[in-house]
Amino acid sequence: MVREVPPALRLAAWVFTLAAAVFLLAPLVVVMGVSVSENQFIAFPPEGFTLRWYKAVLGDARYLSAAWVSLRLALIVTVLALVVGGAAAIALHRRTLPGSEVLATLFLSPLILPTIIFAIGMLMFWSAVFGPVGFATLVLGHLLVCLPYVVRTTLAVLAESDPFLEEAARTMGAGRLQRLWRVVLPQCRPGLAAGAFFAFNISFDEAVLSLFLRRPGLTTLPVQIYGQMEFSPDPSVAAVSSIMIFITVALLVVIDRVLGIRRFSTG
Amino acid sequence: MTDRRENLLLLLPGLLLLGLAFFLPIARMLVLSVEGEAGTLTGEHFARFLTDPFYLGVLWRTVRLSLLITVLCALIGFPLAYIIARAPPRLSLWLIVIVILPLMTSVVVRTFGWMVILSRNGLIPSTLRDLGLVGRTFALMQTETAIVLGMVQVLLPFMVLSVLGVLTRLDPRLEEAARTMGCSFAGSVRRVVLPLALPGLAAGSVLVFTLSASSFVTPNLLGGSRLQVLAASIYRAVTQTLDWPFAAAQAVILFAGIVLVLAPYIRQTARAAHG
Repeated sequence: MVREVPPALRLAAWVFTLAAAVFLLAPLVVVMGVSVSENQFIAFPPEGFTLRWYKAVLGDARYLSAAWVSLRLALIVTVLALVVGGAAAIALHRRTLPGSEVLATLFLSPLILPTIIFAIGMLMFWSAVFGPVGFATLVLGHLLVCLPYVVRTTLAVLAESDPFLEEAARTMGAGRLQRLWRVVLPQCRPGLAAGAFFAFNISFDEAVLSLFLRRPGLTTLPVQIYGQMEFSPDPSVAAVSSIMIFITVALLVVIDRVLGIRRFSTG
Repeated sequence: MTDRRENLLLLLPGLLLLGLAFFLPIARMLVLSVEGEAGTLTGEHFARFLTDPFYLGVLWRTVRLSLLITVLCALIGFPLAYIIARAPPRLSLWLIVIVILPLMTSVVVRTFGWMVILSRNGLIPSTLRDLGLVGRTFALMQTETAIVLGMVQVLLPFMVLSVLGVLTRLDPRLEEAARTMGCSFAGSVRRVVLPLALPGLAAGSVLVFTLSASSFVTPNLLGGSRLQVLAASIYRAVTQTLDWPFAAAQAVILFAGIVLVLAPYIRQTARAAHG
């Protein structure tokens, strides 16, 4: 198949692929380069090699508290998204409720609506009803962004599962909870795992909601970086950004071990 | 307990969340956009946007740049997805990693990378200056070119993955059949692959357009405050001028524009699903 492609075209394909790869990776490589540069100012290519920007970041209370907010937020959101989204997907899959199709669309609708639109809605609604925004607002907002991913991945796994297993458990006398816990949940596991990775990654990197719902003391890592970039970017911004890239790489390695990257990325 | 009640219980937390964190906020935004000083109904916030040449310029820039970004993503994304789909397994896997690693990295981080590359002494401007292609005063930051470059990099993975999702399910024998019947390589791509990949290309385009029209982090940081797009203008109205009704009206305009783009697409996919 590939052999039939004319050689000139194959060469063009190689050049194109290489250029696209450079284009896609350039910002990440540049950020990592700047983070180890000895230069006081942001400059690429880097001069020399130093880890002092990393040291500066790890000793900076603003970055540390932002990292703590981000990590706590991402973990809480991931757990809640798994529980709420997993339960919803199981119910939607069974199709016993009237309008299950419509309900499924409803659950996936936050996927197509740009975050900014409901971010400002969330800010306005929360301020009008509950007063100043806080950590709980951020959790709810992130949860809503992550929920459809968990619902979608779990529904996809359930669609390929054996519908008679639960029936069999029922005829063998298993109770409701037992069936859910011992039969349905294990079937959902790959979908829940994929959903968890999506949820953690999206929440940890999310900037739009976090920018709209920010207030002093409630700054996530991406928001802290954004603020630093707007006013006084220095190589320590590159060091934090690189740490975020390393976390992403680590997450990708775990995803590959647990699910396989191909399966994760093309559904 | 009946089966139906069990399912309702399972679904309830999700439904509550959707109501509290999605539908009520959107409703609140819609109400705020048409609310006057004393709670009366007014269209003044919309009128202000639609009669001010500055904001019409913002709207036009948003549409124009989003279209350009979508077209560029399609032009780069389709061949890239095709190469990934037809490459040997190991190479294809590495290419997928190259596509999703940036996607999974925060937009803020990637935009920072572009700021470094595009700044006065950054890689691209200094290379162009060294080659004598541009003058001494040449700058890329705070230009529309910078916004487009950054946004294409940010959104390209969505396009590649949408097209790839369709292409991986495509039977390669279809192409082989076309080739054995005397079709050239370009002919088989144009007559066999492209038509069959169209749903992925359409889905990717809608996604890229929507995301690009509604993003403000990258345009704000690369374009500056002079080159505002709609989403950046909303962010300013919320956080700087604190004019929430005006922000709500702008968000409704963005919302309406996106519905306009999505509607034909949803109708099309619904028809495809039923027929």
